Amino acid sequence: MSGSGSLPGDLERTPIPATEEPVVQVAPTRPPLTPGEWVRRNLFSSWFNGVLTIVSGTLVLFFGFRLLRFVFVSADWSVLRANLRVYMVGRFPQEELWRVWAVAYFLAVLVGLSRGFLIPPHRTRRGSYLRVVLAVLALGALFYLVKSLLVWLLLAIAVALYAGGVAAGRRLGRRLVRPVLVAWLFAFPVVVLVLSLGDVGASRWGGMLLNVIVAVAVIALSFPLGILLALGRRSSLPAVSWFCVGFIELIRGVPLLTLLIFGRFVLILLVPPGLTFAQVVRAILMFTLFSSAYVAEIVRGGLQGVPEGQYEAAKALGLSTTRTMALVALPQALRSTIPPMIGHFISVFKDTSLLAALSFSDLLFTARRASQAFEFVGRQAEALLPAAFLFWVIAFSMSRWSQRVETRLGVGER
Amino acid sequence: MKTPDDEAVNTPADGEAMIVAEDVAKWFGHFQALKGISTTVRRGEVVVIVGPSGSGKSTFIRTINRLERHDRGRIVVDGIELTDDIRNIERIRSEIGMVFQSFNLFPHLTVVDNITLAPRNARRWPKPKAEQKAAQLLERVGIPEQARKYPAQLSGGQQQRVAIARALAMEPKIMLFDEPTSALDPEMIKEVLDVMKELAGSGMTMVVITHEIGFAKEAGDRVLFFDGGLIVEEAPPDVFFSDPKSERGKLFLSQIL
Repeated sequence: MSGSGSLPGDLERTPIPATEEPVVQVAPTRPPLTPGEWVRRNLFSSWFNGVLTIVSGTLVLFFGFRLLRFVFVSADWSVLRANLRVYMVGRFPQEELWRVWAVAYFLAVLVGLSRGFLIPPHRTRRGSYLRVVLAVLALGALFYLVKSLLVWLLLAIAVALYAGGVAAGRRLGRRLVRPVLVAWLFAFPVVVLVLSLGDVGASRWGGMLLNVIVAVAVIALSFPLGILLALGRRSSLPAVSWFCVGFIELIRGVPLLTLLIFGRFVLILLVPPGLTFAQVVRAILMFTLFSSAYVAEIVRGGLQGVPEGQYEAAKALGLSTTRTMALVALPQALRSTIPPMIGHFISVFKDTSLLAALSFSDLLFTARRASQAFEFVGRQAEALLPAAFLFWVIAFSMSRWSQRVETRLGVGER
Repeated sequence: MKTPDDEAVNTPADGEAMIVAEDVAKWFGHFQALKGISTTVRRGEVVVIVGPSGSGKSTFIRTINRLERHDRGRIVVDGIELTDDIRNIERIRSEIGMVFQSFNLFPHLTVVDNITLAPRNARRWPKPKAEQKAAQLLERVGIPEQARKYPAQLSGGQQQRVAIARALAMEPKIMLFDEPTSALDPEMIKEVLDVMKELAGSGMTMVVITHEIGFAKEAGDRVLFFDGGLIVEEAPPDVFFSDPKSERGKLFLSQIL
C-alpha cells in the first residue's frame, strides 16, 4: 500500500487527505503520566469515583487474597496430580498414549508454522510481560504436577517442535501458505484416524481430549452446513427456503440436552437396522445439527448487513447469482460476523461439557468422578477447579485468536 | 398509455440501434414509475437523461440491464430482447457497464481485484490477462498507482473512477451512468467528468443521468427530459438547455440553473 499520489499526473497534483491515511492508524503518543497523577486521574477523579475505587479495591484484595491463599497454601492438589492423565485423555489406554503425543507433535509443528508466517515477530511488545508471567506460572504448576522425567522429555520435544515450526514459518514465509492450508484441511481426519486405529476406538476417548475433538468436529461441520442453511433460507425456491426455515426453527426450539438424549436413545430407532454409529458420532451429529441452526442465523444476519448496492453491482457486471453470493456477499457477511461466530463456537466448546450428563467420560465427568473418589474426600474444589480452569484457558484462547483474525481481516474495511 | 409524440427528433443516424425501448412501463405496487418510454440509442451515441427526482429516469436505465424488470413493452439491447431467460440477462449484463451514484465498489477487495473479479469469473480470463487489462484501465482513468489499495482508502472521485474502470473491464458495448457525480464533493466532480468525456470521445455508447449541464453540452448528442414517468421532451443539448419547449422543462431548468 505505498506510493499514494507519488506519480505525477493532472489528477494527482491535488492530493486528497483521505488517501494519505495509513492502513493502521496509531494514536498520537501522549506524554507519560507520573504514577501519582495516573492514580488521581483514573481512580479518584471525583468523590464518587474515589468511593468506588476504595470499595471495589477492598473487594478485589479480599477475594484475591483468599483465592491466592487457597491455591498456594490451603489447597491440596494431590487429587489433580494423581488424575492429571485422566483429566487430559480419560481412559485412553496407556500403551496407546503415543498416539496422543504424535497428534500433539503434528499439531505443534502445524501451529508453529502457521504462526511463523502469519504473525510477524516483534509485534506484541506489550503482551510480552503478561506472557512471561503466565509462562512462569505454568512452568511452576508443571513442576509441581509432573514428576515423570519421560513426560518432561515429551513436553520438551513438543515445545521444541513448536519453536522450530515458528522459525521455519518465518524463514519460508508466504511459500508455506498453500501446503500449510492443505495440511490443516487434512489435519482433522488424520488426527481422528491416528487416535482411533489400533486397539483404541472412539469409545475410549475421554477427558479434555474428548471435549476438544467433539468441539472441533462440530465447529468444522456446522460452519459449512450453517452457511448452506442461511443461503437456503434466502433461496427463491419455496421448497428449499421452507425446509431451511423449518429445520432452523425446529432445532432452535429444542434444548441441546434434549437433542443429545434423542441422539443417544431415539436416533437408533429411526435408522435402518444394522446401521450403527459409535455413541460419540451420534453426539457429534446432534451437536452439529444444533450448532448449524445457530450458525445459519448468524450468517443470515451478516448477509442482511451487505448493502443492496453490492448485489446490484455484481449483477450489473454479469456475475451469476451463485458467484455473486460466493465472491461478493458471503466474504463480506462472514467477515462482519466474526465476533458472534467465535462467540457461538466458544459456547459450542463449553457445551461439550453436557457430554458429562450423558455419561461420556469428558473433562467435567472425569473431574466429578475424581472428586468422589474415597481417598480424596473433601477435595471437591481441588478436583473441579482445574476442569473449570482448563475450559477457561481454551475458551479464552479462542477469543484472543478471534481478535487477531478480526484485526488481520479488518484491513481496508469501513 | 400513449407513446409521447416526440419521435420527430432525429438521432444521429451514424450507427445501428444499440438499445431499443418500446412503450416500456413499470409499476412498483400501485405506483407507476414508467408510463411508456420509447426511444432508440444508436451506436456511439451519448444520451443524457435529466429530470426531477421521482421522474423515472433511474428506473428506466435500470430496466436496460434488468436490475428492474419491466412490466410492459419491449427492450432490445444489441439485437437481444430482454426476457425472463436468465442466460440472456447475464449475456446482456456483461455487455453493459453500469456506474452507480454510490460507487458500489466491493469493500473487501483491492482496487485491482474489484476490476478483475468479473472478467476472471464471468469471462474466465486468466489472471495475468485480467490484471494487464486492469492496469491499462487504471492508467486510462488516471490512478495507476492505487491498484493495491482498498476502496475505503480512496477519495470519492478516485472510487468512482475505479468503478468506471471496473465496468470497462468487461469490455462493454454500452455504458450506463446513474448520477455518477451526485455523491461527490464539488472538487472531485471534474476528475470523473473528464474520464466520462474521454470515454464519450472514444465512441462508447452511453446513457447518462446527470445534472451536469457542462458535460451534457460538451459530450451529449441528445437530451431526454423525464417527468412523471414519461419522456416529456427530447432535443439536442444546446437546444434543450437554452430554449426548452415544454412548460415542465422550463420549470425544471429554472430550478437547477
